[in-house]
Amino acid sequence: MLRILHGTNYDFIKVWRLMVVLTLAFIAIGAGMVVVRLVGKRPTVNYSIEFTGGTLMQLKFAQPPQGDELRAVLSGAGYSHAEIQEYGAPDEYTVRARLEGPQAATAQGDSSAKQIERALKAKYGSEGVTVRRGEFVGPRVGDELRRNALIAILISFAVTLVYLAVRFEWRFGVAAVIATAHDTITTIAFITMMHLEVSLTVVAAILTVIGYSLNDTIIIFDRVRENLRKQRRESLRDVLNRSINETLPRSIMTHATTLAATVSLLAFAGEVIRPFSWVMTFGIFTGTFSSIYVAGALLLWIEYRWPRAEGESKGTARALAEERRQKDVG
Amino acid sequence: MSNLRNRLLGILLLSAVAAWALFPRNRTVRQRGADGVLRESVERHVPLRLGLDLQGGMHLTLEVDESKQTVADKSEAIDRALKTVRNRIEGFGVSEPVIQKVGTDRIIVELPGMADQERARQVVQDQAFLEFKITDKTGALERVLPRLDAIIKERKLAPATASTVTPSVSRGLEGLLKAADTGKQDTSKKAGAKKDTTRADSLAASGGALSNLIQQGGMPGEYLIESSMVPRVTAFLEDSAVRAAFPPAKSLQWGTDSTAIAGKTYRMLYVLDSRAIMTGEYLTDARPNTSPLEGTIVQFELNNVGGRRFRSETGKHVNDYMAIVLDGRVMGRPPVIQSAISTNGQITMGGKDLAAAQDLALVLRAGALPVPLRVAEVRNIGPSLGQDSIDKGVRASLLALVLIVVVMVVYYKLSGLLAVTALTFYALFTLAILAFFGAVLTLPGIAGFVLSIGIAVDANVLIFERIREELDRGKTVRTAIDEGFRHAMPAIIDSNVSTILTAAVLYQYGTGPVKGFAVTLIAGIVASLVSAIFIVRTFFMVWLQRKRGLETLSI
Repeated sequence: MLRILHGTNYDFIKVWRLMVVLTLAFIAIGAGMVVVRLVGKRPTVNYSIEFTGGTLMQLKFAQPPQGDELRAVLSGAGYSHAEIQEYGAPDEYTVRARLEGPQAATAQGDSSAKQIERALKAKYGSEGVTVRRGEFVGPRVGDELRRNALIAILISFAVTLVYLAVRFEWRFGVAAVIATAHDTITTIAFITMMHLEVSLTVVAAILTVIGYSLNDTIIIFDRVRENLRKQRRESLRDVLNRSINETLPRSIMTHATTLAATVSLLAFAGEVIRPFSWVMTFGIFTGTFSSIYVAGALLLWIEYRWPRAEGESKGTARALAEERRQKDVG
Repeated sequence: MSNLRNRLLGILLLSAVAAWALFPRNRTVRQRGADGVLRESVERHVPLRLGLDLQGGMHLTLEVDESKQTVADKSEAIDRALKTVRNRIEGFGVSEPVIQKVGTDRIIVELPGMADQERARQVVQDQAFLEFKITDKTGALERVLPRLDAIIKERKLAPATASTVTPSVSRGLEGLLKAADTGKQDTSKKAGAKKDTTRADSLAASGGALSNLIQQGGMPGEYLIESSMVPRVTAFLEDSAVRAAFPPAKSLQWGTDSTAIAGKTYRMLYVLDSRAIMTGEYLTDARPNTSPLEGTIVQFELNNVGGRRFRSETGKHVNDYMAIVLDGRVMGRPPVIQSAISTNGQITMGGKDLAAAQDLALVLRAGALPVPLRVAEVRNIGPSLGQDSIDKGVRASLLALVLIVVVMVVYYKLSGLLAVTALTFYALFTLAILAFFGAVLTLPGIAGFVLSIGIAVDANVLIFERIREELDRGKTVRTAIDEGFRHAMPAIIDSNVSTILTAAVLYQYGTGPVKGFAVTLIAGIVASLVSAIFIVRTFFMVWLQRKRGLETLSI
């Protein structure tokens, strides 16, 4: 039997201060980069045109364009503010013209693609450049998408809270939801650090991360619930540590198989899906991290802060009493 | 034993249903064609169609355009527009188009393999509101021009440079032609001005910002504007005060044609009676054609009611000019009505080609859009990119699969192999559920699926770890397996139910891709529960059956 991390006895709860500092530092770096971009008057979040509205074109050239050639052609066509980016290969580029200011109000931007294409074909000839992908999104669509995605996430949190309150206890629910919110925040910090393009696919990735992290936390909490039912003289802290240790091989194994999938996507699935793959790769890491280091410590803190009433949940009450007794002895 | 046989039968049945759901088959579809006749056609129905990003094509989102007028009941308007758009697309000859209402105020149109996006957009978006109007012969514009000039001056609409522009004396078409002939601009200009009718004189006399730009055309109600001045004139005419000052019984409409006189091009502007003598709603047929004299034309036919009305109206207007107005544009130059017209008529397309005539005929036949639509979103993906994405998706999936198999088999040995075998069923079930929901395979969908394979083994990992714990406690192989499955259950149920709940919320409140993602997630969870719990359990039972008295488990 090949085993990793079997029969471990790490004190995960003990290092909670360090983990809080690490997490906050990570989020602070992400926030710091937003501030730096704000000061430099650059876009803080790299929203895709699905959200900002605008025109996106993916171009393939017969010959890789030289230096600032492409920029010059676009400026000539009146798109000096367009963003130009190499896309995976030296002969492939994306051009992005976001809707801005008065243009956004009139929403006549859907002819941009045609104008840009005409200018490019004039310069490179009709064989020299092909438009592999073109997108235009009006301004209203983006706002709505952003709002809907946010509403969906918040409602799913509420539903999870209720389910866990029914199946476990509200304290478990709150701890799980906060741990999951932690993952959402660190993932967003990661996205700003990498300046990844936030498209609907990336939103879907964030949602997957939420699902994955919740899953991970619930499996540990399930073990906590089970261990609390056993008649052991053990403090709540020890129960939590034991439960995390017992489920550790599973946490790592599932992380490994999921990582295998995200790394494959990162390596082979190409540019279009790359931001999604990055977010997932980071997200399953932070999801595993939070269920091991954050959720347990948080639950312990909540149990202290809002202690249970007399007679409620015997297992937890006993564990808490045991905890106090041990402290007194110590 | 019989329990085991039932389980194996169950797996077989599930697989058969799943395989059936994924098999392409022919379906007979009854559909009303563009001409209104019900027809039966056999369609090849392929489950899990490739999305546009994989097969190439065009995606359009249309919404009600309220820039000109507000629409009270958008949902109802969209319903009616949907019918028209569908009729038009069906006449367009694209295989498996998708035309759907989304939410209350949007239509999405998907045209697989569509390459000419401008043309597609036009066919979908053109409102095709056809009207026949009589050109003004009362000199309404001339009468109101001084007032319009005054308004423009008062509201400072004219740019500062306008005053420094040498006031060109407005002349009739004859004057212009003469100028071109003689080449003596200055003298003929004055001569032309003098020779002109009182109407033309009044145009020039006011000398205002607008009247300087407008010249008399060749028929009553027709005016010429120099092409470079068109945007400025448009701006003048769209001003609210100017619009209010214009007589309500008359309307101003641009023509599609332009003429070149003396090296300059001029756009036509028409003053028309606001009341239409006929509209496109009585139209029963429209066909493109070419005529040696007029170039490409669209011939149309009206129904009996429309024909009667048309005859009486045109009878009243013999010798008047009738403008054919499509979506607010006067098509060609208005012909003179020589005698009453009844059911047949034609629209001259000017210099446009036959394809344009075909498209016009198509949109006229399909009927007008009840509300103007505007493009809210366009995506078009070239076929080469689609193939590229498929290749990449397949490569990534294969690598992921190999890695997962290696991890599972190395770590869990034979049991891992069982779990991996169950993954085949997992993949089959997930795809079948997606096909059942009519899902479309997109690149993010493939990525999600690859990812779900990694997550799908989770339930097995949970169970196997439990079995190991039970074995550690010295239980026999048989009880360890039983207990392992039993103890792992609450965790599996709770974690998956909460994920399903999350997914259900996303499905309910999400839009487009988020919704698609939710379906994939739910399908994946259900399939993974069936494969990890039911199928792997059955495998273990078969294994134990074969090797009675098994002392060690390869796990």
